[in-house]
Amino acid sequence: MTSATTAHSVVEPSAATRRFAGSLVVLYAVITMIPLVWIMLTAFKSPDDAISYPPKVMFKPSLEGFCNLFTTRSRQTPDFIRSLGPPQGLCDSIARSRNMVVAGPSNYVPRFVNSLIIAFGSTVLAVALGTLSAYGFSRFRVPLKDDLLFFILSTRMMPPIAVAIPIYLMYRTVGLSDTRLGMILLYTSVNVSLAVWLLKGFIDEIPREYEEAAMIDGYTRFQAFVKVVLPQATTGIAATAIFCLIFAWNEYAFAVLLTSGNAQTAPPFIPIIIGEGGQDWPAVAAGTTLFLVPIVVFTVLLRKHLLRGITFGAVRK
Amino acid sequence: MSLDANPSIARRSLADRVLRRGPLEAVATMIIAAGVVMLMQPFSLALYSWSFATTLFGTVMFTIVSKVRE
Amino acid sequence: MRSGLPFETTGICRIVDDPGARSVDAMNELSASSRITYRAVMVRPGVARRIRGLSDRTLAWLFITPTIVLLLAINIFPLLWTIYLSFTNYRANRANVPTIWLGADWYQSILTDPDIWAAMQVTAHFVIWTVVIETVIGFGLAFLIDKKFRGHGMWTTIILLPMMLSPAVVGNFWTFLYQPQIGLFNYVVAFFTGRDASSFQMLGDVRLSPWAIVIVDAWMWTPYVMLICLAGLRSIPDYIYEAAEVDRASKWRQFWSITLPMALPFIMLAVLFRGIENFKMFDMVNLLTGGGPGSTTEVASITLKRAAFESWRTGYSSAFAIILFVTVFGLANIYVKALNKVKSR
Repeated sequence: MTSATTAHSVVEPSAATRRFAGSLVVLYAVITMIPLVWIMLTAFKSPDDAISYPPKVMFKPSLEGFCNLFTTRSRQTPDFIRSLGPPQGLCDSIARSRNMVVAGPSNYVPRFVNSLIIAFGSTVLAVALGTLSAYGFSRFRVPLKDDLLFFILSTRMMPPIAVAIPIYLMYRTVGLSDTRLGMILLYTSVNVSLAVWLLKGFIDEIPREYEEAAMIDGYTRFQAFVKVVLPQATTGIAATAIFCLIFAWNEYAFAVLLTSGNAQTAPPFIPIIIGEGGQDWPAVAAGTTLFLVPIVVFTVLLRKHLLRGITFGAVRK
Repeated sequence: MSLDANPSIARRSLADRVLRRGPLEAVATMIIAAGVVMLMQPFSLALYSWSFATTLFGTVMFTIVSKVRE
Repeated sequence: MRSGLPFETTGICRIVDDPGARSVDAMNELSASSRITYRAVMVRPGVARRIRGLSDRTLAWLFITPTIVLLLAINIFPLLWTIYLSFTNYRANRANVPTIWLGADWYQSILTDPDIWAAMQVTAHFVIWTVVIETVIGFGLAFLIDKKFRGHGMWTTIILLPMMLSPAVVGNFWTFLYQPQIGLFNYVVAFFTGRDASSFQMLGDVRLSPWAIVIVDAWMWTPYVMLICLAGLRSIPDYIYEAAEVDRASKWRQFWSITLPMALPFIMLAVLFRGIENFKMFDMVNLLTGGGPGSTTEVASITLKRAAFESWRTGYSSAFAIILFVTVFGLANIYVKALNKVKSR
């Protein structure tokens, strides 16, 4: 298989092996990207191009999907449209070419804003609580430490639907149903377990000597935590925050069961974007694209810490 | 390993060996796994009916056993 | 110094110790050797009081309690409530009907119901096939990436993308790819098999729909298994292979007696986690098929959602929720055990 005259170590794969492995991986990567690329292409198609057969790879780009995503339209008679003044903006002229007028903004922006508020709110809370607890578990002798840590992790493992039933009843009683605060608290409670486990790993790696030195210098334990440990843990806290953000951003089960209007996030909203006669695929694709772009950026930022995140900090590479 | 060991010592070490965390945890793990398989197997409704009790027993056992000394 | 700490003395110490560093930030670079200099400060009584401040014990509880309280309020209290409800006839849409204690009636009826049993088998089909496919492809990919070809870092990141995206939003888009006439998936399959693209419906056919959800899940989560397997492969030290090479063990033999056994704890970890996650799978399946056609893709979570939020049989669905929860909790115990095993590596 390998030539005996290679100069490098015996365990190093040969150039041919590498090329072969590389081409297979690239092939897989290309295939796996097709659905995502297709989402982006569909977002820029006109409705006719989107549902043409055979599926079109080359097409004339159109912003109709984005227009339909952000507006609601109503069908009018050609006479009525002719009686109106000149179209206001691009979306209006696209709508008029289809015998429609823009009736107003759609719900996408408010849902997107809900997603932002709930994701950021729960992330800030989860990371704050998680950092404190992780420091506590990392540095102090806590009775039943292992049991508490397992308890914290097991709350994340619960099936969302099983939790949703009592949460629904509880929120109805205390008036938190369909409120942003309710969703923030819920997502915080799911995220805090990940935050504790991940951050405990990161804080464990900071040598205790730093704080001890600071405390001998006259810092209280709390001051040492704030001024010595926190700056050292910045990377870990940032990585954890991004993980929490991605979870809260992507979450669907709780959102679809517990919210209906005020606090509805984007994931339950995007699938119900309907045009005339079924789903308006360019608009759905446009909404999906806008929704996914932040995650793609975060994934690239996070790539060094992904492994840690998905194994609750157990595997550190 | 030795076959000619003193039997009384062998008996004591047997009890000692069985009542330790490792093997007990392994047994609890097996019971939980059995319960999950019973829950989802397509062969016997009776096994399905007893799956929940099995999983619950295995989980409770696991929780208790994890307190046993190593 | 800004925070009113006793730096009038420590400042001098630091000048002796390291004339350049006068800022609080320099604290981070404190080495064990410089600690000796600082120890002198401790004798001042005011400082000693400050060090005590809050005792470590108090601080530990102060730090941990908020998290525990939140989890008790949002997770444990509802769980206990579910357990209580599972023994009653409570219905969330008829709150005025007096609640009757039923004992274990719901559990008995669920655990003898052939329909629920069928839902568990649908779940089993989904869990087993996704885990098998993801493990085989994921491990294969990890094995290839471990050959460290040029640009493997970038391609790994690209491969990882699907698993970070929202299963609901992307799953919803897959219904478009699966459209019989216009969908890309059908077109590609038709292109390669020569069949008519509209001759089969991935989501509408009772034989194909269970595979439709397996395909999407495998597409989404294979990278997850790949990432963990890659960590497993990278944890195998080179000298073991070198020793095997000296012993003239074939590559094939090396794979079966070194690579696979040593990566096994990691593979187990991935298998367990995917198994648990797919056992409770809801979002992707709900959007792709909603359990249909008929109940051919009605995995356990969909059954539960229908009972709880469509027929509003709260007591009944609570009992079902507890059954699912205990199963997941049992598996979570095994998962944490596997996690600790990997951690000790």
